Amino acid sequence: MTTTTTDLKLAAWQVRYQQRSFWRNKRAAFFSIAFPALFLVIFGGLNGGHLKVRGDLSFVDFYTPSIMAYAVVLICFNSTALIVATLRERDVLKRVRTTPIPGVVYGAGIVGSMAIVLLIAIGVLFVIGVPLYGAHVPGAKTIGMLLTLILGAAVFTTLGIAAAKLIGKPENGAGLITIITLPMIFLSNIWFPIDGAPQWVQDIAKVMPLRPLADGLQSAFDPRFGGTAIMWRDLIPLLIWLTIGAVLMTWYLRSLNRRA
Amino acid sequence: MASRYRDRVPAIEVHEVHKRYDDVHAVRGVSFDIDHGDVFCLLGPNGAGKTTLTEIIEGHRVPSSGNVSVLGYDPGKGPRALRDRIGVVLQSAGIQEELTVGELLEMTGRWYSKSLPPDHLIDLVELDAKRDTRVQDLSGGQRRRLDLALGLVGDPDVLFLDEPTTGFDPHARRHAWSTIRNLCDTGKTVFLTTHFMDEAQYLADRVAVMVDGAIVASGPPEAIGGRDELPTEIRFALPDGMDTGVLPALPDAAISTDDGVVLVTTSHGVEAAHAITGWALASGTALRQFSVAQPTLEDVYLALTSQSVPDETEPQESR
Repeated sequence: MTTTTTDLKLAAWQVRYQQRSFWRNKRAAFFSIAFPALFLVIFGGLNGGHLKVRGDLSFVDFYTPSIMAYAVVLICFNSTALIVATLRERDVLKRVRTTPIPGVVYGAGIVGSMAIVLLIAIGVLFVIGVPLYGAHVPGAKTIGMLLTLILGAAVFTTLGIAAAKLIGKPENGAGLITIITLPMIFLSNIWFPIDGAPQWVQDIAKVMPLRPLADGLQSAFDPRFGGTAIMWRDLIPLLIWLTIGAVLMTWYLRSLNRRA
Repeated sequence: MASRYRDRVPAIEVHEVHKRYDDVHAVRGVSFDIDHGDVFCLLGPNGAGKTTLTEIIEGHRVPSSGNVSVLGYDPGKGPRALRDRIGVVLQSAGIQEELTVGELLEMTGRWYSKSLPPDHLIDLVELDAKRDTRVQDLSGGQRRRLDLALGLVGDPDVLFLDEPTTGFDPHARRHAWSTIRNLCDTGKTVFLTTHFMDEAQYLADRVAVMVDGAIVASGPPEAIGGRDELPTEIRFALPDGMDTGVLPALPDAAISTDDGVVLVTTSHGVEAAHAITGWALASGTALRQFSVAQPTLEDVYLALTSQSVPDETEPQESR
């Protein structure tokens, strides 16, 4: 067996162990799956109406993709940042460095595990939104939705790993991460459309990475958009953010690995 | 051929290693070799540069100058082939707390090209009852034993043990010692740091004492610092009202009394002990607390390190 095959197998094993570890932390599991699901249940149940600013779009067609974007932030950014900071602060990474497992393989285990968590969260939201609340099935637009979702998840994972640098003690991390993400969530069409907000607020929102993710996903549920809903308007900003995220992540991981 | 060359050189070579920080010269020109299968113990007060030197050899830090080789590799470059053959038991090592003892050993074992079965390791460190317990529910001592097992999981050729039995109860310590001893008998090289002199005495083939960034003495624990040539100490208590004037003539011996206990220091230990016990039997004098001893490793260590004042100048681990 070549080293690459062995390492791919090893990464798959790491995903399994990270999965076991993740689901045993009940708090993290709650915030990743139950929390966004509850939001959709409550918002979808409270608002049976339509959004005038979005051409009479129904609230569930707005909230289902919005909460999906929110779940990406919670899982790929918040949880990943906390997991990496915890592994670093508990000196787990220091131990890992003394063993033969390559850092890339160890990291792939964490990222792969979070991808599974995200997949489950999106699945739960889809089930609540579409069959339960009658949101519009995206159909061919699933392609655009998945593309946006994958790119958005990659953006927030790289940013989440880099954000671990900002977290000192993991116990205080959850609060800090919320302070970073909350303003962005408010300005990014998650809780309500900000189409009517002043231009300068819109301008700030547009340069943040959550806005194109939310907009892209919403387009897939919006009957006004047809075809595959591949929205370059949103994919290009996400690609730019992925580059920024990759640079920040690499920079942080290098500093983590530097020998004094 | 390369691997054959690597097995012929000493397991660990340290040559003229210096480590300077902005205003601290933490390691000042340290050199030593450790042969395959030897247990080498590094002793020294806090701030002597022990941790810095150990981390250089483990590959966590790079020296300012000088060379280090472990199994023929440069640990500063941290090649995978080297990490596959060493085991490191860190002092404050993190473990993924949500996993169980058995899962952790199984997971870590997969990282190595050859590994020891989890059950064997669990048996070795006596954690049989804790196989399915999550790390977060282990006691401090149980965690340290898991640390040892994790260091051994890759069946390493060189094992680094940083204060491996701190926090152990006496029974667990004895057991850990015999485990480490058994490992050495299978040809493993061990690099040990410890604060316990009895641990160094029991385990080490060679001891080096580090003070202020330099090695001030090294050798087998029995002989380090000229210990084997130091005078023998004979101690006993005389019956009440009797003073040292009653003792037979003891050539080349210094006699002192402290709190009712007589201390005879002599380079002719056998002759002196014979004279004293012969006199005691002949005169029917009861000598309580009678003992004959060489200075302990701790005595020698304290003499070697007494000039240095321990401080906390050792640099903090950078993030």
